Amino acid sequence: MSRRELEFPSLAERLRPQCEAIVARYEEPRSALLPIIHLFQEHEGYASREAMRFTADLLGLTPAVVESTVSFYTLFFRKPVGKYVLQVCRGLSCTINGAEDIMAYFREKLGIGHLQTTEDGLFSYEEVECLAACDRATCMQVNLEFIYDLTPQAIDDMIAAMRAGSFSVAPMAQSDRPERTWSVKQDGEVAQGKKSLGALGVSAPNNPGGLGDSSGIIMLDRFVLRDDAPAMRARSNERLVQDAKLVAEVIEE
Amino acid sequence: MPVVKVLTDGIGEVDLTDIATYRQRGGYLQWERAVRELKSSEVLEMADRSGLRGRGGAGFPTGKKWSFLPASDKPRYLVCNCDEAEPGTFKDHMLLEFAPHLVLEGILLGAYGIGSHHAFIYIRGEFKRGYEIFSHALDAARAAGFVGKNLFGTGYDLEVTIHRGAGAYICGEETALLNSLEGKRGEPRLKPPFPAIAGLYGMPTVVNNVETLAYLVPILRNGPEWFAAVGTERSKGYKIISISGHVRKPGNYEVPLGTTVRELIEIAGGLREGRTLRAVQPGGGSSACIFEEHLDLPYDYESMAKAGSMLGSGAFVVFDDTTDFVKCAFNLVRFFAHESCGQCTPCREGGHWLETVLHRFVEGRGLSSDLAMMRRVSSTITGLNLCALGDSIEPFLKSVLQRFPEQFEARVLREVASA
Repeated sequence: MSRRELEFPSLAERLRPQCEAIVARYEEPRSALLPIIHLFQEHEGYASREAMRFTADLLGLTPAVVESTVSFYTLFFRKPVGKYVLQVCRGLSCTINGAEDIMAYFREKLGIGHLQTTEDGLFSYEEVECLAACDRATCMQVNLEFIYDLTPQAIDDMIAAMRAGSFSVAPMAQSDRPERTWSVKQDGEVAQGKKSLGALGVSAPNNPGGLGDSSGIIMLDRFVLRDDAPAMRARSNERLVQDAKLVAEVIEE
Repeated sequence: MPVVKVLTDGIGEVDLTDIATYRQRGGYLQWERAVRELKSSEVLEMADRSGLRGRGGAGFPTGKKWSFLPASDKPRYLVCNCDEAEPGTFKDHMLLEFAPHLVLEGILLGAYGIGSHHAFIYIRGEFKRGYEIFSHALDAARAAGFVGKNLFGTGYDLEVTIHRGAGAYICGEETALLNSLEGKRGEPRLKPPFPAIAGLYGMPTVVNNVETLAYLVPILRNGPEWFAAVGTERSKGYKIISISGHVRKPGNYEVPLGTTVRELIEIAGGLREGRTLRAVQPGGGSSACIFEEHLDLPYDYESMAKAGSMLGSGAFVVFDDTTDFVKCAFNLVRFFAHESCGQCTPCREGGHWLETVLHRFVEGRGLSSDLAMMRRVSSTITGLNLCALGDSIEPFLKSVLQRFPEQFEARVLREVASA
């Protein structure tokens, strides 16, 4: 039994009253799933298997159902992440304002790519979708705190401060245990889906987070081509009108 | 310049996160008035008469949406959608962090308008700071007696619950949001039944955007006629426009609907020195581009639809002559491919393969047959999915491919092109 497995029961017992208070906020217990996983992630830095099992027991679900749900959401990490989770916006407004250069600078500086964590466990790096701060492009989040108007100089200062331990941001995990160093093996059996990969598990260094396209040309022939079907387009355009009519009909019935 | 301050009043000048400051400026007076003096139906009627339409993207008339709730004794819910993630939109983010009490008062009024006793706000997971600010605001409002049991001694109860998302654009779609709120994967539901009939926990539910609900406060304060007096014939009132991209002063600007596209660009400081306009994406990542010839169109729901695009959530992205539209198209298609929940094959596969094809173009290895395919591909994706995400994949691509074919043709691999 690993050290954290031994430690988990006491954490769970400590958080149980909070979890029960969350459940009480909703008409149905399952609604508490996301908030409870958030709570454990705040304490452990990621959504551990133990936390998911505990949540399943508490809410009367199977562990598989909880993990299936957790795996849908990109902000739930199913593996340990670095002390600083750097999430750089790759949205359109940032991209036309130089985000590609900013991301390349990060990858170069950290020596890791999209969805990777540094060996020392200090940084996890991810290129994320639009963060809703386009007026301050290019932007990013560090442990979910916004940082705006990125420049290479600002990045240098930020990384230096993080390495020196003087960067002021709340850690991803409230109980930042010193032994919580990075290890791929720890939860290695967790299936790696395209989404919510957590911050680990991509082997290619300096992966820009785009596509490593090699199969596309072969598969292209299988793309089914059809003539434009105006009726289908019209359906999309008029969806709102139809929706409204349908609702009205249902009400009349 | 027609910039106004209605919802944005005081933002950047005073600390509206402080309940005392908010109340000094007339905050929660409309809430108190509604509970003490108005019937639910009167609030609904005011929303209806104001002509307010949904500010989250679809533009559905708010009063009408509320009126779809069937009369019954079942519990009913109001859900405020603060899962703002449409590329280019950043208005709800601002309102949440800088005017949380206004947002809360809007939620309370909306809940009262539909006769609900339990309202929810679904906050995007990334908005951690906003979530904390709003939580404090809610606590302060509860302590002041604006949320809870027997409000203002009238016997009316209203509870508000904050629910944090965890990273999924699709949860902005109202039925996906409801699933997420129920602790499930954020996958859209088959409609009908619509949320008005069977929404949260199978009960009648209304889902409204943050900005939509916030506008209820000034509408009650100044009367629905005040709101309906501005705007265009069918697009009434004001709207916060998130302007970004190649402009000198990107930001949120509140204007009457019907302000021209040209004026909006000027409001945001105009283009950078020596640059010329190539395109504007007027309604977020899901919308097609409009061009120079559309500059004098009024920015409202109808005009944007007529120009082949949409007003959407009011995300207004400006592109100048430095823009690589192949990369932009790749960027947006990748976004939708990444955010597809995967339930519907046309969206899941269509997005993925379009992304693959466009990546090839970005690398200068496009095929000439790709060009024809991309012009026709919408017939195999659009309109064939449970929700609108699949329909959002290609409007931008199609509009820029039509307008700037040379940028795509220049990326076709020469040997393949001649073969």
